[in-house]
Amino acid sequence: MTAALHASALAVPGRLQPIALDLGPGELVAMVGPNGAGKSTLIQALAGLLPAHGLVHWNGQPLSRIAIAERGRQLAWVGQEAQFEFAFPVREVVAQGRYAWGDDLTGVPEALAELDLTHLADRPVTRLSGGERHRVGLARALATGAPIQLWDEPVAQLDVRHALEVMRLARRLSNNGSTVVVSLHDLRAAYRFDRVLVLDQGRLVGNGKPHDVLTAPLIREVFRVEATFVESLVPELP
Amino acid sequence: MKPRVAVPLLLALLVLTFLASLAFGELRLSFGQVVGALTNGTDEVARTVVRDFRLPRALVGLAVGAALGASGVVMQAFFRNPLASPGLLGVSSGGALGAVAVLALGPIFGFAAATLWALPLASVVGAFAATGMVLMLAQRGAGTERLLLSGVALNALLGAGTSFLLTTTAGHFEVNAQILFWLMGGLESRSWEHVWMGVPAILVACLLLLPLGRAMDLLSLGEQSAQSLGVDVRRLRRQLIVLSTVLTALATAVAGIVGFVGLVVPHVLRLAFGPDHRRLLPYSMLGGAIFLLACDLVTRTFPLGLRLGVVTAIIGGPFFLWLLRRPR
Repeated sequence: MTAALHASALAVPGRLQPIALDLGPGELVAMVGPNGAGKSTLIQALAGLLPAHGLVHWNGQPLSRIAIAERGRQLAWVGQEAQFEFAFPVREVVAQGRYAWGDDLTGVPEALAELDLTHLADRPVTRLSGGERHRVGLARALATGAPIQLWDEPVAQLDVRHALEVMRLARRLSNNGSTVVVSLHDLRAAYRFDRVLVLDQGRLVGNGKPHDVLTAPLIREVFRVEATFVESLVPELP
Repeated sequence: MKPRVAVPLLLALLVLTFLASLAFGELRLSFGQVVGALTNGTDEVARTVVRDFRLPRALVGLAVGAALGASGVVMQAFFRNPLASPGLLGVSSGGALGAVAVLALGPIFGFAAATLWALPLASVVGAFAATGMVLMLAQRGAGTERLLLSGVALNALLGAGTSFLLTTTAGHFEVNAQILFWLMGGLESRSWEHVWMGVPAILVACLLLLPLGRAMDLLSLGEQSAQSLGVDVRRLRRQLIVLSTVLTALATAVAGIVGFVGLVVPHVLRLAFGPDHRRLLPYSMLGGAIFLLACDLVTRTFPLGLRLGVVTAIIGGPFFLWLLRRPR
């Protein structure tokens, strides 16, 4: 089967050492690593948003051969920053996800509902809290209907419930065949993904199933913390 | 306000200010006289006044206002900053320096400053130089402070160049007066020559901008996200910067520095009708034209040296301060 997302010798000078990667359709992938490890850089390079060396393929096609509008239909990217300078209503920002589809509004109400934004749909994005703005960014990515979703720290600013909902959404998308890559800091959350990528100082130092990759020695090496496996409070959606 | 009312409202105001521009002045004409002068009236004086003086002046005013309004919207989307505008960023000053250089150096070096195209061309060159410097000083998505401080520095630098040219030509009264005209902006004695110099090109640039509104919506909320959603950001940025600079330069070439139009007009319209650029662009063109014609009417009502650039600054300066104080 062709990889949904393939990278070979993908590098960004000074920020990312050459990386090879193959992510399959329907894979739910967590990306972890300390601050400055290169998570955002790798995500942007995979999304074709950054000048980078090496090769990237989406669904078997080299990125350089995919027209920019077509890229908007194939891959959605959500950045860490959700700073909106102009007071567009939430609904219109989410509808921007349909730009590459000629601005039809397919899936926009569903995306709003999915991120719990329906009641905020008419509010200007400038009047939302940081967490709410992040949800708007996610809803816009969802509205694209793109089968590859790259989310850069989507839950860092969300409350417990919305964070869990975003994780569940990621799982559901992957169950429906999408490739979803999520960068995060919560190693416990990463443990529930199909695959974990660990980045450290611009290098990919771990790539595999969570229990194979997120071992105590690697966590000690990369994050310089001691990890023990114990039972603890785990919030769940009802 | 509902966007539905915007177009009829703005068009009505435009027609009103345009007709008023033809009617008011030293010789006060009635509406009937204006219509007569435009059609086949027999009143020779009214005909001359309207056709040879007021009509070109009003047309230039309309085009300059539309150009500056559109240019403001574009720069705000481009820099993702609602406080960006051609005047504050120094693009107008660049255009003025170009024009002033032609005026000042033309007689000295003996090239034809009076040529129809030398002035707008120099203005375009000056404006592009200024835009280039803004782009270097304040990178994409620049914060308000950095952007405005670059503008302050650039305006000071270009202003110094203009002042230098002003003092070196101090002996040539004629040249000096022309330079002063450019610095304070105005529509006085604008002739059909100025109409041909600026209006067609402004019209073309405005028409080229209109289809870019949707992509500007996406760009205004972030360059990378726009790119990821399918906007060709590099191409769009190039189109926007070229068109907005050309518009500012042409406006400056035919009417001198007229500040604050590109700041005030888009802001008011955004507050009234929302930030959607597909609407905001044409509205700002109409609104800019209305604002400029109205300010020009003020200069005619108080004829004692109240220049157009002074009137727009009297309105725009306090408005800008209010914007800075307003909580976002």
